Amino acid sequence: MECVVQGIIETQHVEALEILPQGLCGVQRERLRVHELTLKSLPNLGVVPSEVRLLCDLDQPEPTWTVKHVGGSMRGAGADQISVMVRTMIQSKVSKNALRMFYSLGYKLDHELLKVGFAFHFQRNAHISVSVSSVSKMPKIHAIDETVPVTPGMQIVNVTASATPENYGLCTCRNRLNPWELCRQLLRLLHLLCRMEVVLHCKKFEAKS
Amino acid sequence: MPVKWVLYWQPNQGSTVSTQILNEAAQCAESISGVKEGRWKATLNYYKPLLRDQSSTHHPDSLPRDFLGISLPDHPAKYYFIIRSQRIVVEADASIQIIMEKLQSYKSKVSLHFDGFQYHLGDFRLRVGRVVPVHSESIRGIVMEVEYLPISSMEKARKVMEEFVEIWHEALSKRSLSGKFVNVELNFGEFGLADNYTPQHTGVQYAIVMAHMIATVQPAVRG
Repeated sequence: MECVVQGIIETQHVEALEILPQGLCGVQRERLRVHELTLKSLPNLGVVPSEVRLLCDLDQPEPTWTVKHVGGSMRGAGADQISVMVRTMIQSKVSKNALRMFYSLGYKLDHELLKVGFAFHFQRNAHISVSVSSVSKMPKIHAIDETVPVTPGMQIVNVTASATPENYGLCTCRNRLNPWELCRQLLRLLHLLCRMEVVLHCKKFEAKS
Repeated sequence: MPVKWVLYWQPNQGSTVSTQILNEAAQCAESISGVKEGRWKATLNYYKPLLRDQSSTHHPDSLPRDFLGISLPDHPAKYYFIIRSQRIVVEADASIQIIMEKLQSYKSKVSLHFDGFQYHLGDFRLRVGRVVPVHSESIRGIVMEVEYLPISSMEKARKVMEEFVEIWHEALSKRSLSGKFVNVELNFGEFGLADNYTPQHTGVQYAIVMAHMIATVQPAVRG
């Protein structure tokens, strides 16, 4: 499982966002350059239509691959009590011809993205990752050198905390909070002082309003 | 990683495979100074696609009929997929099995255990084991792993392996068994595998061995 909060930030504020966590979290930032391929099952394959993501980490000397399955987010009365998205997520490292295998198994490429930016990874009750990245699409298949930004001038902020069904409460906010308070709570979770003057929108709340 | 050959027992025409052969092979290993080290076990799953509309003819032939996965005792945190007809082998974390369950697009239709004893013979490690369907004692076949510990290069290890297998055949022939262990020559390059031995080579060998076994070995009525 994972708890997720996503937002967007103007590119001009990214530098400020980058410096503060590095100083206060005690971890070095890592470069992020990931080619993400989303595959969907062909019609009639499977009990239900399915989707799987292949992530290729291009920042390594030799690209490494991960398969990721993201499930639906938690729903119901419990989900209404918390202000972050909680969903099932399983991933597995795979060798480089996983894409060819999934094609043979009846999956086709639905879309692909290139995410470039940076990330922080650390442990506070759970493994937490904060990433800031620009997301680009590819006009031609697998053309990672010819990408076009999906949201020019804006980058995606992604905060995830891996969790189990038993401990996800430690990673979530228990009260319904406004977006700014939500971010303060998250940043407190990250041991950051929220004095940055950045524009940070929380998509989950925007979707509700 | 040491080079490994995976052989299978091919009974003579009219014979079946049985536990007696496994026992004889184990005794043979001990007779050539093999030191018993303990048990070993591997599990192999054959997968079939799940179709929402079984009556639909929409692309069923394009989906593989020989998609299998195997877990190996030396690498318990990993899982290996092989699609033999497409010459595909993939190594993944063991959690890939949970992902496959979540996708609900393929289901394990047959699961087989390989289990038996392993022996240490100088620079070699030998594993002899039976092949049985899960939840059954009916023996489906017998496999043997021969591992040459000092070398990782398949080409460099070839001569030594051939000599060992010849010695093994000679020792086993004195027991008047109705069959022999067979090594299937493989072109690992077709699977994108190099000369340096890896667990993926083992996965491919098991996939090929099973294909041969299914084609040529009659299952025993009772193991």
